[in-house]
Amino acid sequence: MASSLEHYVNMVQTMSSTGNFTQLCDFINKSSDTLAKNASHLDNVYATLDIQQASLGVLGILCVKFSLSNMPDLETTLIQTTEFLAKCNGEHVRYATDNYAELCHKFAQAIIDRKMYARGIAPLVQAIQKIQIHPAQLTSIHSSLCQLCLLSKNLKPALVFLDIDITDISREGGRFDAKDYLLYYYYGGMIYLALKNYERALYCFEIVITTPSVAVSHIMMEAYKKFTLVSLILHGKIISLPKYTPQVLQRYIKPLCQAYMDLAAVYLQNNLADLRMTVTKHTDIFNRDNNMGLVKQCMTSLIKKNIQRLTKTFLTLSLADMANRVQLVSPKEAEKYVLHMIEDREIFATINQKDGMVRFHDNPENFNSPNMLLELDKEMQRCIQLDEKLRDMDRDIAINPQYVQKSSGSHDDDLPGTSGKIQAY
Amino acid sequence: MAAAVNTMDYSQLGSDLERQELEFGASPASPLLYCQLLAVYVLQNDLCNAKFLWKRIPLGIKQNCPELVLIWHVVQKMWLKDYAGTYEALQKEWSDDVKNIMLAVEDSVRARALRLVQLAYSNIHANEFATFVGMNVDKAVQAAADAGWQVDNITGILIPKPLDPPAAPPIMNEQHLSVLTQYVTYMEN
Repeated sequence: MASSLEHYVNMVQTMSSTGNFTQLCDFINKSSDTLAKNASHLDNVYATLDIQQASLGVLGILCVKFSLSNMPDLETTLIQTTEFLAKCNGEHVRYATDNYAELCHKFAQAIIDRKMYARGIAPLVQAIQKIQIHPAQLTSIHSSLCQLCLLSKNLKPALVFLDIDITDISREGGRFDAKDYLLYYYYGGMIYLALKNYERALYCFEIVITTPSVAVSHIMMEAYKKFTLVSLILHGKIISLPKYTPQVLQRYIKPLCQAYMDLAAVYLQNNLADLRMTVTKHTDIFNRDNNMGLVKQCMTSLIKKNIQRLTKTFLTLSLADMANRVQLVSPKEAEKYVLHMIEDREIFATINQKDGMVRFHDNPENFNSPNMLLELDKEMQRCIQLDEKLRDMDRDIAINPQYVQKSSGSHDDDLPGTSGKIQAY
Repeated sequence: MAAAVNTMDYSQLGSDLERQELEFGASPASPLLYCQLLAVYVLQNDLCNAKFLWKRIPLGIKQNCPELVLIWHVVQKMWLKDYAGTYEALQKEWSDDVKNIMLAVEDSVRARALRLVQLAYSNIHANEFATFVGMNVDKAVQAAADAGWQVDNITGILIPKPLDPPAAPPIMNEQHLSVLTQYVTYMEN
């Protein structure tokens, strides 16, 4: 028995030192049964192998340890995994991205089961940074990190990754699943929501619901509910979705979110009392979906939106009149809303306390200042970068043998639309 | 870390503390760390992160660290944009660990409030203005007069001086010309 473990150690050490990684991965995958049979000795093997020199061998052992049905000492395994993720050789483990991701997920799951969420954040941050080829690459580990951040209520560590727009996905040997992708953006949206970055949250939810799909996913449905609410808060209506939005959304998901559709329809009528009634009617659903907080923010946003609409009709307005028109209890409350909106640059106005009046202004930005020029510059640079990125990706697809074969083979058929091309890959 | 506290580089201090907190993993960090990090979030007016920090601090530490609770009171008042309440919550004997940060908080809250009044009011009652800046009325009126605001002593109405427009950044002509050239070549391709 012990000799088979010795064999494992020897093979790992020889092949690691000769740089024969592809073969080594094969060997390790084939050895998992042998390793599992010798579970009690695995800690010895772990201690024998050098994490930096024989990363793949250690990875194999940890994967087997996590797959054991009753792990004798989970705590030791967690410590070993943390140590491994901090010290392993990124070059080596990139030959086994599938096992690496698997290990990270099992590690995260074990931590979640034991409710020690904060413990997993630092190791997973290191894990992602090590395995990524460039910072804009998405791995399946991202979603686990976001989940841990949400559970431990420590959101900042995830922002390092969320703030970078993804342009590439690590295939992880075919292990990367649509679920990882959807969850990453769903959790990402929730993290941005918690930090009140509504723009970015809306973007994340939009990605989830516009992912090509032919079946209803629960993640997509929940994302659509939140998308609806954030869209109302930010834009006062459900913003229109791009053409490539999958049909399932319209056909199956929308009918399942009737309460939210009702809310959006009533919101458009700008009547606060009606909106309150609709919310009361569907309170159970909103509470069950854990969306009540967002729904309440929708109500506040309607008040603000109604104040904004007044600026289109009036040049000056008394606070009492305003309170009346937007159904607030007192002029003082109206003043408070106006003040907060001025602070957040949502309206341009000045309050005259002596006469209890508000005077509305036009946007003071005349688009002729050096500041605006710099702003414009920045936007142009971003557009140019984006365009370059798109060209690169387009070129990659155009020279992909599979694509060339398919597009020249189906020459007589209908020309594939852009979305068709994307779906094929 | 002590160096960062002394040199008042609070954003550096904040990220140091965040990193240290993560190193503690699932075991609780020291009350000192939580106090300082919460204070830094308050100073940065980052109330969302302050709220979540408070939510993740273990109950035992909250109960045994009165200063932490005092800082949390400040967050609550700021969240509600209750200026009078904020200044009141700030009037505490802070320990040396957070004293400098909390004093800086008071200054930054006052500066923000002053800016807001200048932006939002064409005229304002002296007593309301005093609430915004957390001073008694006489002092507030004096401060306003010193800043060159018009003061009507009979009605007690202040007319704030409008905000100066933000300073325009200098534009390097030659550099900008080369940037424009880049755009044109880009568009033509």
